[in-house]
Amino acid sequence: MSIQVRNLNKRFGATVVCDNLNLDIGDGELVALLGPSGSGKTTLLRIIAGLEVPDSGSVLFHGEDATSADVRERKVGFVFQHYALFGHMTIFENVAFGLRVKPRDVRPSEATIRAKVMELLTLVQLDSIAGRYPHQLSGGQRQRIALARALAVEPKMLLLDEPFGALDARVRKELRRWLRRLHDEVHVTSVFVTHDQEEAMEVADRIVVMNQGRIEQDGPPDEVYDRPATPFVLQFLGDVNVFHGRLGSAAGKDGEISFVRPHELDVVPAAAPGTVEATLVQALTVGPNTRLEFRRSADQSFVDVEMARSDWMALRDRLGLATGSTVHLLPRKVTRFAAEDVDFDPAAMI
Amino acid sequence: MSAAVSEGRRPATPSTTEPAWVRRSLIALALVFLTLFLFVPLAAVFVEALKKGLQVYWAAITEPDAVSAIRLTMIAALVAVPLNLVFGIAAAWAIAKFDFRGKNVLLTLIDLPFSVSPVIAGLIYVLVFGLQGWFGEWLRDHDLKVIFALPGIVLATVFITFPFVARELIPLMQAQGTEQEEAARVLGAGGWQMFLRVTLPNVKWALLYGVILCNARAMGEFGAVSVVSGHIRGQTNTMPLHIEILYNEYQFAAAFAVASLLAGLALVTLLVKFLVERRIQRSTISV
Repeated sequence: MSIQVRNLNKRFGATVVCDNLNLDIGDGELVALLGPSGSGKTTLLRIIAGLEVPDSGSVLFHGEDATSADVRERKVGFVFQHYALFGHMTIFENVAFGLRVKPRDVRPSEATIRAKVMELLTLVQLDSIAGRYPHQLSGGQRQRIALARALAVEPKMLLLDEPFGALDARVRKELRRWLRRLHDEVHVTSVFVTHDQEEAMEVADRIVVMNQGRIEQDGPPDEVYDRPATPFVLQFLGDVNVFHGRLGSAAGKDGEISFVRPHELDVVPAAAPGTVEATLVQALTVGPNTRLEFRRSADQSFVDVEMARSDWMALRDRLGLATGSTVHLLPRKVTRFAAEDVDFDPAAMI
Repeated sequence: MSAAVSEGRRPATPSTTEPAWVRRSLIALALVFLTLFLFVPLAAVFVEALKKGLQVYWAAITEPDAVSAIRLTMIAALVAVPLNLVFGIAAAWAIAKFDFRGKNVLLTLIDLPFSVSPVIAGLIYVLVFGLQGWFGEWLRDHDLKVIFALPGIVLATVFITFPFVARELIPLMQAQGTEQEEAARVLGAGGWQMFLRVTLPNVKWALLYGVILCNARAMGEFGAVSVVSGHIRGQTNTMPLHIEILYNEYQFAAAFAVASLLAGLALVTLLVKFLVERRIQRSTISV
């Protein structure tokens, strides 16, 4: 089922959380709503689900206006950040809930319910613990049960609110892949909210980047990363160095700000067109990567360079680099925005 | 209380403990205090009640006036507890799950019976429904009796036991939030289904606890009921009032006999409360 959002507005008191949003989500797509906290992504998701009422604008399911439809009629599956499992029910009963509360005339028989629930528990690989209670499960298991519960009513779409937010790093990674695989199997239209750009890039077909109630960019992960539409998107999707004024070999205009990602800077021994002179302040190696911190000679600002650890070893030996060495940095790829577009404080995003 | 203490029990370390003599004397002091002010009076009730033998005891609690007092107390509790059960759930639901104007005013109103002296509470009803009160003449003209009759006693009891259920539920419901209810709605549950299958099971032990306290107070209330009852023997005397009259008439054995019933009720209440608390603790630990 496709979802269309038209001219959607929502405010909480004086705060605008959805500022005239327009969005199209195709049938069977897996879309990530990505943004910092307070960007309106969760509110948008809750409005689509019917848990929140917009001030104006409409939500259409498959072209049909669903704005005033009750939550129950929307047939959506919703997965909450903190699982929202029913603590007094067994895992089996949690998953069966959506089937048991159906009106009598359409309620499946006990045998059908049992078969359906066990099928879903097998799908989320937790069929062996149907008789346990939610508190006896780990976070990752609970979230899988929450997913199975949402899928039990055969929703037309699956909405996930920071589904992996409360889990530790390793489990998150596992569940991401698992969600991706599940979507490839079930093919239900899915929208998930996240503030983790890595998660969005890894799982989604398409990323919708949101900031302050507006959609900054909407596109496939590679496009959003490689061709950011706004300085915000550029900065939100990964670390970036900011250079004021001219930089790189292309003719830069005055009043432009240039952005270069740390892994898109080469360290060269001699000055060349487009290079920047800098002094090595420190080198930090974390796992397979090394992060070099430089200080620009021109304005004393810091520049980060990232490379594989082995590349750093080779470079260090070749150029005889040590803390305090002066080198030149050559950007391979520069993204420029007019200075007036860059109206936010990068430090505020940390 | 005792359960909460034992839950936090850890091996004492030198930095958090006192010398043995300090500990022992503090414990002894507490025990002496408890014995003097709680156990001795409680034991005295039963000792005094049975002093003149089982026959006198039996006669005291089966004489018509006593039976009438017991019945009246039961009726008052039977009306007040279900009323406040419904009201308490409704108020807690509204306060914990919704935001609305005047929420704090409602919270304060719920607490009013706790802060107002029971005698004042009784007087309020006399002033409103008494013969000289606002509705007094109208009530007399329509041949309705509120004050010095059953309705007044029930009204006063309802007022006094107003906060117990709501106060017990509100913090728990607030802590639980609305996520599970939202999950139920999204899964297709209607309002009643959501309430009966999700909200109520989540608060059932706290609810039972509130009802127990509410019932104990409803049966034991003296001040407010005393003002509105009129102390008509065999008609408007509740158990606490009946005990007072017997005592004032120097019928100590009879007074203590009826008192022992209330004390017994209190003990049963405490036992049930203890069991429920243990249940609550188990279920909150496990969630």
